[in-house]
Amino acid sequence: MNVATSQSEVTGPATPVGSGSHQAKIVVEDFIAFFGAQAVLRNIHLSIYPRQRLAIIGPAGSGKTTLLRSLNRLNDLDDDFRHTGRILLDGGDIYDSSTDVAALRRRVGTVYAVPTPLPWAIYDNIAYGPRLAGVRDRRRLDELVESGLRSAFLWDEVKDRLGEAATNLSGGQQQRLCLARVLALEPEVLLLDEPCSGLDPISTAKIEDALAELKSRYCVVLVTNNTKQAARASDRTAFFLMGELVEVGLTTQVFTNPADGRTGDYITGHFG
Amino acid sequence: MDWSLKRLWLVFCLAVALVLVMVCPGCKNRSRRAVSVVGSTSIQPFAELLAGEFHKKAPDIEIDVQGGGSTAGIQALATGIADIGTCSRSLSTEEAALYKGIVIARDGLAVVVHQSNPINGLTRQQIQDIFSGKITNWRDVGGPDMVVRPVSREEGSGTREAFTKLVMDNVLVASSALTQESNGAVKELVRGDPGAIGYMSLGLSGGIKCLSIDGVVPSASTVASGQYPLVRPFLFVVKGAPRPEAQRFIDFVLSSQGQRLLESEGLVKVQ
Amino acid sequence: MKREKIISVVLAMVAMSGIAGLALITAYIFKEGLPIIVRVGLKDFLLSGDWHPLEGKFGIFSWIVGSLAVTLGAMIIGGLLGLSCAVVLTQFCPRRLVVVLKPAIELLAGIPSVVYGFMGVMILVPWIRQHLGGPGLSVLAAAVVLGIMVLPTVTSISMDALRAVPRSYRDGSIALGATGWQTTHMVILKAAKSGIMASLILGMGRAIGETMAVIMVAGNTLDLPHGILDPVRTLTSNIALEMSYASGDHRKALFATGVVLFVIIMILNSIALAVSSKRARKAGVR
Repeated sequence: MNVATSQSEVTGPATPVGSGSHQAKIVVEDFIAFFGAQAVLRNIHLSIYPRQRLAIIGPAGSGKTTLLRSLNRLNDLDDDFRHTGRILLDGGDIYDSSTDVAALRRRVGTVYAVPTPLPWAIYDNIAYGPRLAGVRDRRRLDELVESGLRSAFLWDEVKDRLGEAATNLSGGQQQRLCLARVLALEPEVLLLDEPCSGLDPISTAKIEDALAELKSRYCVVLVTNNTKQAARASDRTAFFLMGELVEVGLTTQVFTNPADGRTGDYITGHFG
Repeated sequence: MDWSLKRLWLVFCLAVALVLVMVCPGCKNRSRRAVSVVGSTSIQPFAELLAGEFHKKAPDIEIDVQGGGSTAGIQALATGIADIGTCSRSLSTEEAALYKGIVIARDGLAVVVHQSNPINGLTRQQIQDIFSGKITNWRDVGGPDMVVRPVSREEGSGTREAFTKLVMDNVLVASSALTQESNGAVKELVRGDPGAIGYMSLGLSGGIKCLSIDGVVPSASTVASGQYPLVRPFLFVVKGAPRPEAQRFIDFVLSSQGQRLLESEGLVKVQ
Repeated sequence: MKREKIISVVLAMVAMSGIAGLALITAYIFKEGLPIIVRVGLKDFLLSGDWHPLEGKFGIFSWIVGSLAVTLGAMIIGGLLGLSCAVVLTQFCPRRLVVVLKPAIELLAGIPSVVYGFMGVMILVPWIRQHLGGPGLSVLAAAVVLGIMVLPTVTSISMDALRAVPRSYRDGSIALGATGWQTTHMVILKAAKSGIMASLILGMGRAIGETMAVIMVAGNTLDLPHGILDPVRTLTSNIALEMSYASGDHRKALFATGVVLFVIIMILNSIALAVSSKRARKAGVR
């Protein structure tokens, strides 16, 4: 089934960048999310393509993070969460009752705004995900740990102290550790929720560099408050406001020639 | 504020002194007005009753009755905390040399079993064999094929000492015997366990099956007549000459009114 | 400044008198108890099961075994139940239910021990006698009653420990594809280990020190128990049973029993503390 044909985005079909990316990886269809009685996302239609970085921007409370957390069902942890509509990953509805949620979260990995290292050694932090997935072979684990750390640009800093507690790393290193941890799972989609919000410019640059390399292999969704970061580190950008998707398109287009006036106002700093 | 070790030590010593000062007055300075009666928990309910009646006759004298156990009563007497110690067993030789025991009543010792037990009576020898562990099945005393579970009292209990003296003849109670810490607990256990056998104050044995001993049914009249073999004294123990207030209470207990009261409660009078 | 000093001295006095009271009690117990241990001989006192105080035989081995057996049983029952309760209430239970259940469990701690003992005598003991055999009054009965008694302590302190685990650990683990249960046992229980250990120590303290309920359901025989259906006497129940009637050497032997109890509790606590701090260091937390 060609899911790309069923897309109907606010701004009409956006032209995907790059070859071979006509088929959307994730399709959000008429998605409405509630916390309790309050709707925090309204009628979202959105396609996310492989080997692309999608930036989601918008003021606080616009529903960016809720959407991100819906993509691998992290919102399920909240008792009050309800939704309608569908989210398709490679054509299958992730909210189907037959979905293996743990496996879904391995395919669609998350890096949170605040680093969340587990109180163990660096090595064990990264090997945790693969071990859960059933990887027992020591050499295979070593490989995954190394490749994860390399992709997150952390390998050179920690390769000699993998046995040390992850909690002793600096904030920027911890955040890259969390990125490495997700990458060691070899996911298909990478979700990042304001991953640089608490970091210094150097750490931020390292993470952005990592993302630029990663896009060749992954589909990346980046939620950010920082419009400059969105402009720098994404191929497409979606603008959310008060639970609605205002517009989505190529980053260059959204930033230079937004279709909606509100997008322009936000980008130029008139509100938010 | 910095606490050097030396200063901390000083404060600690002060605190020790403070605690000692707070504790010690309790040791010596008790109120001397009330007559204090301390001891056997078997006698306690009867002593409270007597104290109540006595207070009606002599409102100026307060009687303060406490439990704690026969031996605790004698200890309280020794340290001067109690005016009268109560004791539900005979005094030991050393105790008898130091204190005077006044028998205020006699109490039968009932041997009790479960309601469903077909046995109605045992000899003292059979009871001894049961409690020493020689007999372990009711079959051996003419009952059903069922394990016997003897229920004893704790080491040092007045009731236990009386039982040991009257039934056991220096034979030890089997260490496998269950031990309960009051007449009530023995009664409760025996009432629930078809194989159990226990002993307790006859005065408190209402509502439970009591065995006849050597063919004599336990009752106030068989205890009084001396036919029932398991009888122990209830004692008031004093050290030298008691205070006049305490003496008046003792006199009241031994008077016909006091004795009638004890008799109506299931004990056997001595006067 | 001056007032500050006075307040600080007064507070130090108050705190110190607490410690002083404890020190005096300890000193008194040892002063009363040690001589008889020396006289009987430590080995005979601890390792002989022959207790006939009126004949001068003081051996408390059976009660050391009794106390340990009953405490172990109580910790297996109460520790498992309490920890499970804590895990369910903190990890898998809707908040609205927790609001009702946690106070309910904590209320259990406020019930006097004699009530537990009474329930044990009226319900548990006859049940064991009828369905499992033996006199009913047994190690098992005592362990079950104590297990229920330590449950609120274990649950409530474990819950605090589990709640103190940073939410980020849970989020991080879940996002890596761990199920709720995997997260709980691989991440959260590990992180809360020292707090859980503390709850078990406190529960154990309550179990080994409990007297009233144990006297009521344990049977208090002098014999060494050979199975969980046999009656048993513990160190505390022996003291409580015989205290009121004891005099002379018998009384001193009871104080000596107290000394042994004191030492056992100190040893258990030190072991548990050492284990929990070692584990905490190993895990890289502080």
